[in-house]
Amino acid sequence: MAASQTKKSDAIPVPPWHPNLRIVESLPDTKVVRTAFFVNGAAMLVAIALALYLGIQEWKIFEVNKQIADWQRQIDRDTKQSNEAVALYQDFKLQEAKTKEVSDFMSSKPVLSVIILRLGAITPKKIALDGLDFRDNGCSIKATVKGAPDRASGDASAYEKQLRADKILGPMFSDVNLLTMNRNQSTGRLVIEIFCEYAKGQKKP
Amino acid sequence: MSNEELIAFLKKNAISVACVIVSIALGFGIYYRNDLLPEAEKVLSARTQQGELLAANIEDSSQLKEQHAAIIASNELISARMIRVGQLAENLQYFYRLESETNTKLTSLRQVPLAPQPKGAPKTNFVAVTFSVTAQGDYKQLVDLLRRIEAGEHYCRVITCNLKPLSDMRGGQLQLTLNLELLATQ
Repeated sequence: MAASQTKKSDAIPVPPWHPNLRIVESLPDTKVVRTAFFVNGAAMLVAIALALYLGIQEWKIFEVNKQIADWQRQIDRDTKQSNEAVALYQDFKLQEAKTKEVSDFMSSKPVLSVIILRLGAITPKKIALDGLDFRDNGCSIKATVKGAPDRASGDASAYEKQLRADKILGPMFSDVNLLTMNRNQSTGRLVIEIFCEYAKGQKKP
Repeated sequence: MSNEELIAFLKKNAISVACVIVSIALGFGIYYRNDLLPEAEKVLSARTQQGELLAANIEDSSQLKEQHAAIIASNELISARMIRVGQLAENLQYFYRLESETNTKLTSLRQVPLAPQPKGAPKTNFVAVTFSVTAQGDYKQLVDLLRRIEAGEHYCRVITCNLKPLSDMRGGQLQLTLNLELLATQ
């Protein structure tokens, strides 16, 4: 008996309890803003964003396809005319090549009659032309200089300078050189040879 | 999760579930149609380039017909001034006619046979036929002959030319030796 009394006095006090019979899942959400609101809002935002993205993408595709169709219509309309123009241009180029060939042929060499006439016009009376030799790269002028040799050599040098400075012949020649100057033993006169080298790319005078 | 629980869950979260389903569907749509735009832009770029090229062709060819007609007419004139390689008699006759007109004397006249074109040489519309001409006369006559050859009815370029007196006597007869080319059609 004494032992049972001692056990009773030593017992730890337990707060009063009752069984928790609540079904938490079925209880209403009592927060100020319900969780479902955020979940639904987030899901809707994602769906709307995706829908917008897809819509913009589709709209862009539609616009681009519309432009493609416009260009295609223009291409269909212009193709025939363009093909005709291209074919005409091809023929034009062939015809132009013929003209250019003739032009290149004619401008590849100087007109010698012009040079001869000019030489005849500018050569001083003291100098008598003995011969003209036109080669591929230039013109050789052989001449006899009248007068005493001391003055004749000066005349020959002046003639060389005159050829170089001539307004018509000068631009045609890149170089004018007095090659030889010899005395003709039978006449005592000076015989000279001047070589005029054609300027590169020289066309018609 | 039993079917009843699943149905209850769907009923409870109808909006969220619907949004998720719609989002997944949209995602698939975006994924599968994502390549269409770059492809369409590529096609557009090609079409634009082609269309602009065609438009430029048409614009640039606005005067082409007139220019083509002009160059055709010009080439007809050019063709009329060509000699023919094989017509030796007619070609030489041209020089004899000039001889007669200038009162010079052709002491030598020769059409150099045409050498075969080397392999790989660019194809040309015309060929240059070489003639070797030696004429005698006074200065005026020979210069007249040379001028008529150079500016005559056929296209000519003189390759080499030698003009010298026949004798030592001044004012006498001269000799003109020419190596020239006339443009010809085959």
